Amino acid sequence: MKGYLAGRLAQAVLVLWGAYTLTYFILYLLPGDTLAIMLSASGMEADGLSAQELAQARAFYGLDKGVFEQYFALLWGALQGDLGQSLSLGRPVTALLAERLPQTLALAGTAIGLSLLAGVGLAYLTAYVQWRPLKAALARLPSLGFSVPVFWMGLLLIQVFAFGLGWFPATGSQGTASLVLPAITLAIPSAAVYAQVLQRGFQGVWQEPYIATAFAKGLSRAQVQARHGLRNAALPLLTLVGLQVGNTVSGAVLVETIFSRNGVGRLAQEAVLRQDIPVVLAIVAVSAAAFVVVNLIVDLLYPYLDPRITHTAKVS
Amino acid sequence: MPTLHRLFAIGSLALALAACSPTDNAAADKTLRIAFWGDNTTLVSVDPFQVYWLEHRVLLRNVVESLTDQDPDSGRIIPWLAQRWEVSADALNYTFHLRQDVTFSNGERFDAHVVKTAFDSNKAFATQLPATFGATYLAGYDHAEVLDDFTVRLVLSKPNAGFLQATSTTNLAVLAPASYRLTAQERSLGKIIGTGPFVLDHYTPEVGARLTRRADYAWASANVHNKGPAHVEAVDISYIPEESVRNGLFLQGKADILWPRNPFSEVDLNLLQSKGATIQSRSLPGPALNLYPNTRNGRLLGDRQVRLALQKAIDRTSYAHTVYNTAFPVVTGVYDVTTPFFKPQTEKLAYDPKAAEQLLDAAGWHKGDDGYRHKNGQRLTLRYNLTPAESAGDVLVQDQLRKVGIDLRLNVLTRAEWVAGNASGNYDLTSTYMTRADPIILQTILDPRAANSATLATNTYAPATLAKAQALFDTGITATAEPQRAHAYGQLQDLLVDEASAFPLYERVWQAATAARVKDFRWTAEGFALLSDIQVAQP
Amino acid sequence: MTVDIPLPPIEAVPATQGRTRHAGRAATPWQRRTRLQRAVQALAPLLRKPGFSLALLVVLFALLAALVPQVLTGFDPYATSPADKLVAPNAVHWFGTDELGRDLYTRVVYGARLSILAALLAVAIALVGGLGLGVLAGFAGGRTDALLMRLVDVLLALPGLLLALAIVTAIGFGTVPVAVAVGVGILPGFARTTRGEVLRIKTLPYVEAARLGGASWVRTLWRHVLPNAWGPVAVLATLDFGAAILATAGLSFLGFGAAPPAAEWGTLIANGRHFLITAPWVSLLPGLFLVAVVFSLNHLARSAEEHAR
Repeated sequence: MKGYLAGRLAQAVLVLWGAYTLTYFILYLLPGDTLAIMLSASGMEADGLSAQELAQARAFYGLDKGVFEQYFALLWGALQGDLGQSLSLGRPVTALLAERLPQTLALAGTAIGLSLLAGVGLAYLTAYVQWRPLKAALARLPSLGFSVPVFWMGLLLIQVFAFGLGWFPATGSQGTASLVLPAITLAIPSAAVYAQVLQRGFQGVWQEPYIATAFAKGLSRAQVQARHGLRNAALPLLTLVGLQVGNTVSGAVLVETIFSRNGVGRLAQEAVLRQDIPVVLAIVAVSAAAFVVVNLIVDLLYPYLDPRITHTAKVS
Repeated sequence: MPTLHRLFAIGSLALALAACSPTDNAAADKTLRIAFWGDNTTLVSVDPFQVYWLEHRVLLRNVVESLTDQDPDSGRIIPWLAQRWEVSADALNYTFHLRQDVTFSNGERFDAHVVKTAFDSNKAFATQLPATFGATYLAGYDHAEVLDDFTVRLVLSKPNAGFLQATSTTNLAVLAPASYRLTAQERSLGKIIGTGPFVLDHYTPEVGARLTRRADYAWASANVHNKGPAHVEAVDISYIPEESVRNGLFLQGKADILWPRNPFSEVDLNLLQSKGATIQSRSLPGPALNLYPNTRNGRLLGDRQVRLALQKAIDRTSYAHTVYNTAFPVVTGVYDVTTPFFKPQTEKLAYDPKAAEQLLDAAGWHKGDDGYRHKNGQRLTLRYNLTPAESAGDVLVQDQLRKVGIDLRLNVLTRAEWVAGNASGNYDLTSTYMTRADPIILQTILDPRAANSATLATNTYAPATLAKAQALFDTGITATAEPQRAHAYGQLQDLLVDEASAFPLYERVWQAATAARVKDFRWTAEGFALLSDIQVAQP
Repeated sequence: MTVDIPLPPIEAVPATQGRTRHAGRAATPWQRRTRLQRAVQALAPLLRKPGFSLALLVVLFALLAALVPQVLTGFDPYATSPADKLVAPNAVHWFGTDELGRDLYTRVVYGARLSILAALLAVAIALVGGLGLGVLAGFAGGRTDALLMRLVDVLLALPGLLLALAIVTAIGFGTVPVAVAVGVGILPGFARTTRGEVLRIKTLPYVEAARLGGASWVRTLWRHVLPNAWGPVAVLATLDFGAAILATAGLSFLGFGAAPPAAEWGTLIANGRHFLITAPWVSLLPGLFLVAVVFSLNHLARSAEEHAR
């Protein structure tokens, strides 16, 4: 078990490093010259300046280093917890993240909670309903859930619930009320995935022999569903929650733009566009780390949930 | 099924909690809420000297003040922090006599030493970062001499006819010495101390800003009707990138002023007016929204006939009426009408597709089976570089040009690629604008010696025209008498249209919708708002 | 060596079911039929379901629009008509008109080609890359497998949209870069599914029998492994085809799309969103159409999968 843990940790670190490096080189290959963008942002273009002026500007923005030199400097800093300076905001990236992360964490956390609630709820409902047409419709509802573009769903929800009914604010980052619509928007695709997998799990479970035993013991349908159905379907669900971390970050980019929320997703999108390499790198590193850690926990939880799985070495 | 019950219970509880969050009506009464479009994400800064972003200049105009002000109707320079001034005959020495009753919001006194610190700090910053926007305003500034506590002389090393106007802008506003002791980055993120009727409480990039009233304010310029402290207690500014969300907030009464960058479309205008909103409009001084051609290196627009045909093939009336509304002004020159020395070119910019077709036929471009014109096996395709996204207007022009057989490629690029394209001359048409209430601003676009992109400026003219244009720019900047300037800039505007070196598309009108409770919204010369004049009615 | 616990991929059927299904199929040694016969026999019961037929019709309509848009509409998708701007849906303009007076139904029909091409390209990239990586990893095993799977993990750990944003910014705007970005984003799913299938099939008796009988690895792969691994991958491909259309729409919303005046469905929805209050059909109708197509694709994939079980 210890050996497994060490190996799994090493893997996680390797994946993180890979994600960091891959992103750095993609960003560095971007066609534009960061200096030119920054100059243009301040109302000047590079061809309007002399070589000396360009060198001054380059030094001012801290861009006077080579690709690899910059890469190793950044990597070394990241290992020590220093994620560098934002090129365009002129502030430490850690400070930026500290400011923005809570917003995104609140959003993502609420969304994950909501999506589990809705996904499990819908699956239960589908299993519970006996009337065939409704059952069929409920079984297809998840498909509809991930057939709708996230940004469009967000805009429709705003129109209906913020402007039409006036129940929730459309924008802003203050208070729980402003969290409702964005979290629902973000939760829908994930909820659809969970519901789909659970619906199948439940279907499969009904055919297992031990369910017949459970019924024979005199348990009610709901009790069987709760004790055996969910327990069995919980495993793939757990895996999915881990995998949805990435999708949640992606969704946050869109949702935060629509709802004018000041989170990491929006910061990421804008940082990519202005080639603010340290900021993008930091965000990628943080979200990759979140992904890796969550999935590590999921893997380690498996044996406790399903005794059939062990992490003791198999014959290799 | 206890689990199911629990789920529903939690769900409805969450809904109930969210629905009954209290609305803070009481505090909102004397707060003015402005909704702008998205914040500037490329240059994150509210440092007056660096800022070119219009929305930030609106904010700054009410926080920081300048030596002079500009009359929005006549364009004349009027007293503000300086009560009067003298300009030497050679236009190199500007002596300002300052008001003696002005203080900064941190308690520091406004005097000649402070002005010297401000101008010298700006000059030092411009030396360190020549690309900064304020540098063009400061052009020619050498040093300042403190003659006494309230008299300061600004000395130029070379004439700059726009300098007096520059002293009226937010870009050369005077900050408290405490602000200059901070780094440019700290100022950029909102550490701005000025003498204005409002104090910048905080600025959060991409989210918003808050201004609070200064109770002891009493030195407004003649442009402001309210000579005392502002009527509203605070101003809340928010940046909302999504148009439908922004409009919805305003319609819901969650914003008092709806102030996007682009003018309202006709449907929005009708909707806003039907809900009791007033539409405030002002043409922004500076160039109109022009397309600039690339006439060099064997590009198709090197042929003057083709350029003239292009000029005639654009239906500017249809543009204004389709993209905006029937009351929207049709562009009539290379400058917007609010720019001093503006000269209309209405006749020459008229829509005349027949004449355009004749010119193209004469130039050897004949229509082929695909509906586009060809010459020597080459199609008449023009590459129009734009960033970050095309507008409905761009697509409309594309279709207008298609009718005379010109294939306009809308080349949507990231900012980086667009900048690179301008610098390398890899385009046929490109577009950019700047806002300043002095015709000198065109030099930052179209004079290769002063332009942001020298390539773009050079490519706009045929070689012979460039020399003429530069001579006119020189006359314009060195002339000290108004008629001389008017003459030079008039000729320049003629030249740009006659040589088809600029293709005006639309008048850059800035529109804001004000809610019924907002009274006395008024514009400054450069298209900003005087927030201390605004009153919000009690409901 | 560490033991890799294969995570069931998002769309994967729990292993037990997969196995029973396969056993079922293998256990019915029957008279050989032609491919057509088999296809018809498989489809016939599905076609009797109204939902399936309707979904098939929607998808066929979209494909038809992509191939011969001019048959489905008489308007020019690019001709502006300022006098008819923002007309509500009526008998002439079925979906109404946009802010420049262009017929929206026509634009949706012509948009099909770009959207479907982009999605096809994305799925093709994911399929080729994912299948290649998956088969190689599953077959080679050992270090190669570990290495390739770590690469897939890296791709999986990068948030899809951020990766796509970076790729699009790196290679420029337009349909092809967007398709490439989306394709790379969905590649890990394919790689994992394929690998899982290969690992499962590799241990099946008849594959071992083929190996023992002297068949080369390549032949075994080609004749026995790939055809059997194909099923779940094909379902995943259909599902991801819908996902690719959505991802393209998301990127269009952020401003990375086809060069105007051409428009993918995503661009149409995104551009129409400014009129959600004043002229909702400009965004709603293309949006509903997109949802119908993606939903139909999902429905087809699910039905086929459930039927096969």
